[in-house]
Amino acid sequence: MLTLRWKTSTTIPVEAEAITPENLAARSAVEIARLPLQYGNRPEPLGEFFDVAGDARDEHVVLEGDMGPLKWVGAGMTRGRISVYGRIGMHLGAEMAGGRITVHGDAGDWVGAEMRGGFIQVRGNALHQVGAAYRGSRRGMRGGVILIHGSAGNEIGSTMRRGFIAIGGDSGDFAGVSMIAGSICLFGSPGIRYGAGMKRGTISHFPSDGGGTLAVLPSFRLDCVYRPVFLRLYLRALARWGFPLPAGVEAGSYERYSGDLVALGKGEILKWLGPSAS
Amino acid sequence: MEINGVEIEDTFAEAFPMVAARAIITADARRWAEIAGRAATGYATSVIACDAEAGIEQAIEPDASPDGRPGVSLLFFGFSRDKLEKAVTGRVGQCVMTCATTACYNGLGGTEKSIRVGGNLRYFGDGFQTSKLFEDWEPETANGPGMDPEHGGPASLHPAAADPPRAALAPRRRFWRVPVMDGEFLCEDRFGVVQGVGGGNFLILAESAAVALAAAERAVQAIDWVPGVITPFPGGVVRSGSKVGSRYKKLRASTNEAYCPTLRGVTTTALPGRVAAVYEIVIDGLDLAAVVAATAAGVRAACLSGVVQISAGNYGGSLGPHHIRLHEALGR
Repeated sequence: MLTLRWKTSTTIPVEAEAITPENLAARSAVEIARLPLQYGNRPEPLGEFFDVAGDARDEHVVLEGDMGPLKWVGAGMTRGRISVYGRIGMHLGAEMAGGRITVHGDAGDWVGAEMRGGFIQVRGNALHQVGAAYRGSRRGMRGGVILIHGSAGNEIGSTMRRGFIAIGGDSGDFAGVSMIAGSICLFGSPGIRYGAGMKRGTISHFPSDGGGTLAVLPSFRLDCVYRPVFLRLYLRALARWGFPLPAGVEAGSYERYSGDLVALGKGEILKWLGPSAS
Repeated sequence: MEINGVEIEDTFAEAFPMVAARAIITADARRWAEIAGRAATGYATSVIACDAEAGIEQAIEPDASPDGRPGVSLLFFGFSRDKLEKAVTGRVGQCVMTCATTACYNGLGGTEKSIRVGGNLRYFGDGFQTSKLFEDWEPETANGPGMDPEHGGPASLHPAAADPPRAALAPRRRFWRVPVMDGEFLCEDRFGVVQGVGGGNFLILAESAAVALAAAERAVQAIDWVPGVITPFPGGVVRSGSKVGSRYKKLRASTNEAYCPTLRGVTTTALPGRVAAVYEIVIDGLDLAAVVAATAAGVRAACLSGVVQISAGNYGGSLGPHHIRLHEALGR
C-alpha cells in the first residue's frame, strides 16, 4: 500500500493524472516522489506536495489531507484502488475504465466524468457534473457506478449513456439532462428540470417529503402507479454497499412518468410515493 | 450391506452428463412463485420424451432472493446447450412470464458458458422492452484498506489489515424489462450452465405397493433437503421404470419387464420372491457429489419395515460414465 500525505496549503491547482494505481505500482517511493505534477503553469515533483511512504505493488494508493486543489486523481485508471481520506479536487476518476475509488470526505466537480467502468464511492458531498459529459462531448458516463452519500451539484449524469449514479442528499438542477441511457437514483431534493431532454434511461426520485412537491416537467406523461421489481435490485445493492437509504424504501409504489417527449421519449422518471403507498 | 434389515444390493446407478441451469423465480407472494415454478417444470420428467428434465430445487427466503421477495429455485437439465436454451426459454416464456407478479433470475453465477433466456424473451415487448446492465460490485470490507475512519481510522494505520487488490471490473448482469399487464416482467438476459449429472437412481423393492410408496415418499422428502438436486418425476417417484429400446422400432425406451410384478411368470424377472411392487427414484444434480449425497440420503430414508431390497438401474456400464455404487455412497 502506498500512502501519499498532502503537506502543502497551496490554492493553486495541482494536476495529478500520474496518480493511478497502475502508474505507481512498479515504482519505488523515491521514483514516485520525482514524478512531475503540473503545478499552475509549471511541473513540480510529486514529493513537493506529498510525503510518500510504502509502495503500490498491491495497486492500492491512499491519499490523506485537505487536497482541494488536487485534480485528475485516478483519471483514466483501469485497475487497482485509491482510498482518499480528506477533501479531493476536480475530475476524480474522470474517464476511468476500471478499479475502485473511495473518498472519505468531499469531492469537487466532474467526479467520474465520462467514466467507462469502475466504482467510485464518495462518502461526503460532490460538486457539479457528476458522471457528466465534458463540454462538446457526445456522451457522458458509459459504465460503472458512482455513489455520492451526500449532496451533489448541477447536471448529474449529463448525457450519460450507461452506468449507475446514486446521490444520497440534495442535488442541483438538470439531473440527468439529455440522458441517453443508464440509471440515476436521487434520494434528496433535486433541483429543477431533472430529466430534461432525456432519451432513455431511468431517474428514480425518492422524495424525503413523501409525495414530493417538485413537479415533473410537463414534457413527461404519467403512465401509472406500480412497483418496479428491477429497482429492488439497485436498492438491495445500495444497502450492501453501505449507502444511506430512507427507511422503508423497499416498500411502497412509484409514479411512472414517460419522457422526455421533446426528445425520444423512451426514458422514465420513477417517483417514490413513500413506504405506505400501495 | 443391510440398513434396518433391508438389503442394499452391491450394484451401481449409471448416470450420465447433462447440461444444467438454475433459475430463481420470485413473486410478490410465495404462492405465485410456487405456481410459476410448478408450471415451468411440468412435463419435464425425462428427456426420453420431454424437451428437458426439470424440477423445483428449493424454496428461497426473501432475504436470500435477488429482489427481496419470496421465491423458488428450479433446475433444468438437457442433453445440449442449444436444446436447453430452447427448453428454458419456452418454459420461462409460457409459464413464468405469464404468471402474476413474477420475475426470473439466473441462479448459477460465474460459469464459463451460458444460455440466453431473457434476451430471447425480450421480443415479446414488441419494441417497448428495455434493459438494465447491473454491475455487481463487492462491498468494501470492514477491515480492508478502504475502511471507514469511524471504524478504526485510515487504512494506512493498519497495514496488516490490507486485503488483496480487487478485480478491476465487477460481474455485469443484464436484465430485460418486458411490459406486461400488471407492470413489468423482469428476466435476466443470460443463465449460466454447468455440466451436471442426470440419471442418478435407485430402486425400492417392497412386499407391497403401499410399503414401497411410503418408502419412496420418505426418500423424496430426505432428498429435498439436499441442495443442487431434483427428482424430476411426479412427486419424485417413478413407477414406469424403463429399459433402452423396444420391440417397436419407433420407441427409444419401453417398460422394464424384469421389474414388473405382473410379468413375473412370463419373463426373466429381477424381483425376489417376496417383492410385490417397485418404485424408482431418479435424481438429477448439478454435480456428481450432489447426486451421490442425495442417493445416500434417499436410500437411508427408504429402508422401512417391509422393504425387501434397495437396488439401482444400470446398463452394464455402457450408457454413462458416472457409476454411483450404492455401497460406496452409503459408506461416505
